Amino acid sequence: MKCGVKFCGGCNPRYQRGDAYRQIKDELDDIDFDYAQEDVPYDQLLVIGGCPACCASHEQYTAENEVIKMWDESHIESVKDELLKRNSNKGE
Amino acid sequence: MLMTGEQYIESLRKMNTRVYMFGEKIDNWVDHPIIRPSINCVAITYDLAQDPEYADLMTVKSNLTGETINRFGHLHQSTDDLKNKVKMQRLCGQKTAGCFQRCVGMDAFNAMFSTTYEIDQKYGTKYHDNFVNFLKMVQEKDLVVDGAMTDPKGDRGLAPSAQKDPDVFVHIKEYREDGIVVSGAKTHQTGSINSHWHIVMPTQAMREEDKDFAVAFALPTDAEGLYMVYGRQSCDTRKMEEGADIDLGNAKFGGQEALVVFDDVFIPNEYIFLKGEYDFAGMLVERFAGYHRQSYGGCKVGVGDVLIGAAALAAEYNGAQKASHIKDKLIEMTHLNETLYCCGIACSAEGQATAAGNYQIDLLLANVCKQNITRFPYEIVRLAEDIAGGLMVTMPSETDFKSDMKVGKNGETIGEICNKFFAGSPACTTEERQRIMRLIENMCLGASAVGYRTESMHGAGSPQAQRIMIQRQGNIEGKKALAKAIAGIK
Repeated sequence: MKCGVKFCGGCNPRYQRGDAYRQIKDELDDIDFDYAQEDVPYDQLLVIGGCPACCASHEQYTAENEVIKMWDESHIESVKDELLKRNSNKGE
Repeated sequence: MLMTGEQYIESLRKMNTRVYMFGEKIDNWVDHPIIRPSINCVAITYDLAQDPEYADLMTVKSNLTGETINRFGHLHQSTDDLKNKVKMQRLCGQKTAGCFQRCVGMDAFNAMFSTTYEIDQKYGTKYHDNFVNFLKMVQEKDLVVDGAMTDPKGDRGLAPSAQKDPDVFVHIKEYREDGIVVSGAKTHQTGSINSHWHIVMPTQAMREEDKDFAVAFALPTDAEGLYMVYGRQSCDTRKMEEGADIDLGNAKFGGQEALVVFDDVFIPNEYIFLKGEYDFAGMLVERFAGYHRQSYGGCKVGVGDVLIGAAALAAEYNGAQKASHIKDKLIEMTHLNETLYCCGIACSAEGQATAAGNYQIDLLLANVCKQNITRFPYEIVRLAEDIAGGLMVTMPSETDFKSDMKVGKNGETIGEICNKFFAGSPACTTEERQRIMRLIENMCLGASAVGYRTESMHGAGSPQAQRIMIQRQGNIEGKKALAKAIAGIK
């Protein structure tokens, strides 16, 4: 599964968004993560916000699945689970 | 094309900008230890734009070219753009703990875009085309532009045309077929030396007799006849000390101000945006000031974030973090800082489209924002100094802490003595305590206090300028009508 990653702008993040991304990426080697680009189609889009506003723009990207958003450190595990689930669904 | 910070610094080396400091011409001003921290501050606006973790705020699609540009070169197209501007400024303040200088250009772009449009509508001039062409070039090359407004003003009781020395206001000295020759100066210019270009604007509303002073234009920073005299900052020569590091508080970043002199500078017609249409000088000033008063609701908040963090660390390093009054002071600092952010966001959210199509802030709320900025950073500084303790201004130098000169009866060195008596909580080393105390000193009364304190007071207009605007925009008659309706007065 090809997953485009988009960060919010980071004006006042409540946790280390980059560390959270690396944690997700490092544990899910089957998924092909990359920073989202406008001209690339993705299976999945992951938006990493720094606070509940989760205001990152993402309408400019194309992804087959519904976008997954996170804005808190506590979301890391559920995001990993959801990505794994969608990755295995894709394989079926 | 988005430049990197390094490419920006290299681009400055190619310019023939004339800089004077301490009575001498500074040839290699890019690497001068007093000037370089302010260049690093601007460079971060380029580096953050390259980083996927910050690009959503730092970059945007240009409405002029459709290309991705640095937001500092953008014309705001919505209230979201206005809010993102404030968020970007908070981010840059957090990363530098200083003034990153690039906002004045952005605010000048937006004020100039809408004002030139309206001048052309009335007078059939071509200033808007001139400005759009200029801005396209700035966006394509990812340039830094200084917005220069404040004239020396001479005798404050006299109009520009009544001054004994006309140079105390920038003015048109000669009209030519292919352009104009300008003379005068701009003071307090933040980020002037390390900008690629300048946009020059009048400093106040003008009358007919002042029409030679109603002039706006762009020129390269190394234009023939243009030069700068660098402004002093508190503790600036610490940066000249050999191996200076800890004592600087903020060794990498800083702000910059200069006197900018226009010594009969020729401006070609294509870079002129206002030439004698004196009735639009006030509009341009009001719009620029409005945007810049909004800006402070972002940048100063980001710097405030760093100072609050530093005060919290100082409390921990002093071993006082559990005291209830310390916790309460940190709460108060946060409350004040976030109130400023609320103002920046509010005047953005209530923004509206101009006749030219770009968005401007709500002027009343932007002026309320800046009025609070003239006060709250001072209280935040007071609380930071309260929490830090006197050590932030009485500690011996970094050299003493590292000195191996034996001074004690048992052979103790100055360094050992300093490290013994300035040790704090086991949660930190003495050097870490030194570093955080020096950072607080730097921000509260050292080089960065220029940006965090006095710039908060006078930058984007002194407090009374905002009070005049608040009076104008405050709708007292509407409020009186409300009171009459409730009280049953007809």
